[in-house]
Amino acid sequence: MGEYAVEACGLVRTFDDGTGVRGADLLVAPGEIHALVGLNGAGKSTLMRLLLGMLKPLDGTVTIAGRPLNHADWATVGHLIEYPLAYRELTCRQNLALNARLHRIPAARIGEMVESIISELRLAQYGDRRAGKLSLGNRQRLGLAAALQHESQLIVLDEPTNSLDPSGVILLREAIVRRAAAGAGVLVSSHHLDEVARIADRISVLNAGRIIGSLDPHGVDIERSFFALVRADEELAS
Amino acid sequence: MTPALVTELIKLARGTVPRATTAILVLGVSLICSSMLLATNTGDPQIAAKLGALIDPGGWAGYLTIAAQVTAAAGLLGCGVVLSWMFGREFGDGTITGLFAIPVSRPTIAAAKLLVYLAWLLFCSAALLAALLVFGLAFGLGPIPADVLPALGRQFVLAVLTGVIAMPVAWAATIGRSILAGIAVAVGILVLSQIAAIAGAGQWFPFSVPALWAISTDVPSTHLTLVIPVVLASAGLAMLSWRRLQLN
Repeated sequence: MGEYAVEACGLVRTFDDGTGVRGADLLVAPGEIHALVGLNGAGKSTLMRLLLGMLKPLDGTVTIAGRPLNHADWATVGHLIEYPLAYRELTCRQNLALNARLHRIPAARIGEMVESIISELRLAQYGDRRAGKLSLGNRQRLGLAAALQHESQLIVLDEPTNSLDPSGVILLREAIVRRAAAGAGVLVSSHHLDEVARIADRISVLNAGRIIGSLDPHGVDIERSFFALVRADEELAS
Repeated sequence: MTPALVTELIKLARGTVPRATTAILVLGVSLICSSMLLATNTGDPQIAAKLGALIDPGGWAGYLTIAAQVTAAAGLLGCGVVLSWMFGREFGDGTITGLFAIPVSRPTIAAAKLLVYLAWLLFCSAALLAALLVFGLAFGLGPIPADVLPALGRQFVLAVLTGVIAMPVAWAATIGRSILAGIAVAVGILVLSQIAAIAGAGQWFPFSVPALWAISTDVPSTHLTLVIPVVLASAGLAMLSWRRLQLN
């Protein structure tokens, strides 16, 4: 097996209120869609922040394509964590061009890249509208466009379907599958088990800051399996 | 650095807050000064008595003395608002998450913000000087005497240095993760500089020196070097804070 798109070993980062991540291991292989599911406060966002260097772990290591975070090639990483990178005074096109510049995309390629993602996520009618004037759903779509536009090798999306309408959810699903087919490793968190089951190759369950097991994406009653895992973990802890 | 500079320049040029602040600073300061000029010329002895001391010795020299005083106070607040917006809005709008895990480092982004701010400051200071000249001419001050030319230079330098001493705001907005934290520090700097000036220590206090130097010939230009440590420390602390930043 070659290098993983992202590999985390023994990650620990806890907060004063008792939440956080307590020894999480995680692998995302190139071309794999790995879903992270868990209840609110399970540590999904914290884990994703640790993977992207937004938080420093108290213990454990993270590598991206085999390289530690301080030497990672961030140009090959796309992410959307909580808020989209969308400046309200800029239009969708300007925001996407700005994001491409920050990913060191050559100026000559930016226009084509922006138009391509605008077309893929059907943002054309909002392309010249300021982000501040967009609905919540279209703002989220813009954030996803920024995360997906630059042919990343690792894509990390935290609750990406938040605020999206059904057509947006389908577009996102197709966009993720296309990128995984092209070799990108995708880590996506969600509350919606049926939604991740449609696209995920692997589903990891996070509870109280630890990966407590996995679910079969093709399982018959994935919701029942999820709650069985969580209940068993909580009974073990109590 | 170039991608960071370009993106910060675009954000500043398109932002409503910096646009409005620039207009308010340039036109507001000029209008305040020229309206005081008008008020003293109304012939009302009571107004003349109240404002006369402020615009002494009258004419262009008096007008520019007023301009220096207004620039020192309003400029600090205006620059504080723009600088605080540049740094604090990333936290308020949540865009800070998008500035992690990208090839451009956060200290580079912070440095780009400061450089773009300094470029804006030069532009704004030049625009304010131009506006003061236009308003002075429009309100009948007549041709500019040769002995007033150094005062014009002082006005420009004062405007620039007023923006420079506001630089701790960048660090405060980062540490406080909000625009208001930065603005509070700008107000604090203004209060401290006033206290230092009233206490007679102003010419040794870096935040008071530019205004006192612009208004009084008793303060030597060498005292302006006191702002250098403020600039270096502010820029260094802001960049260090962005490097160590964690989203917890």
